[in-house]
Amino acid sequence: MFAIVDEKIDVGALIEGARRPDCGAVSTFVGTTRVDEAGDNSVEYLEYEAYRPMADRKLEEIGAEIEERWDVGHVAIVHRVGRVDPGEASVAIVVASPRRGPAFEASRYAIERIKEIVPIWKREVWSDGYVWVGSQVGTRPG
Amino acid sequence: MIEVLLFGAAADRAGTRTVRLDVKEASTLAAIWPLLADRYPDLASMRDTLAFAVNGEYAKMDGRVEPGDEVAVLPPVSGG
Repeated sequence: MFAIVDEKIDVGALIEGARRPDCGAVSTFVGTTRVDEAGDNSVEYLEYEAYRPMADRKLEEIGAEIEERWDVGHVAIVHRVGRVDPGEASVAIVVASPRRGPAFEASRYAIERIKEIVPIWKREVWSDGYVWVGSQVGTRPG
Repeated sequence: MIEVLLFGAAADRAGTRTVRLDVKEASTLAAIWPLLADRYPDLASMRDTLAFAVNGEYAKMDGRVEPGDEVAVLPPVSGG
């Protein structure tokens, strides 16, 4: 399952959906909003936007790359767009494999590839403005 | 005519998310970029950080663009 969603990600359901009798390992990576602080200001939430349907296709490509490289029984990647509050999940990656090695490796690979090729952008909304992550363009002072 | 979609910081810099350019024959991204950069000078300074897509797939500057195509201006991606 590869999806971009604008509601909360149900990580539990993704894990349940990955369990199968021929797999002894289910690895899960969940990326969540972290509150950074600078001086008296802090991140209030993150906001993501995607270029669809290219972003959907790139998630599927990552899934295909993983199935080519590792012995996996199931791969799911779900990325949220819109506002994501502190502690909430922006991305969840669930990989099931017969053994733990490929499950860990494929899960790590997926998050790194997302950051390379999937057209999704993140904006940190601070108490005093915002910053586009990666481009450092925004309205924050200094 | 081609439609140009801008995202993230590029949309901020241009002050718009879509631009229509009057392109009447086959061209390249390299030839189209100056049309955008002239219209949106604040976008021009981002050039080295930008990637481009034509009809939803990454393309290099010599990539072909035909009338009716969708071009996307992509700042550094930052999903996850």
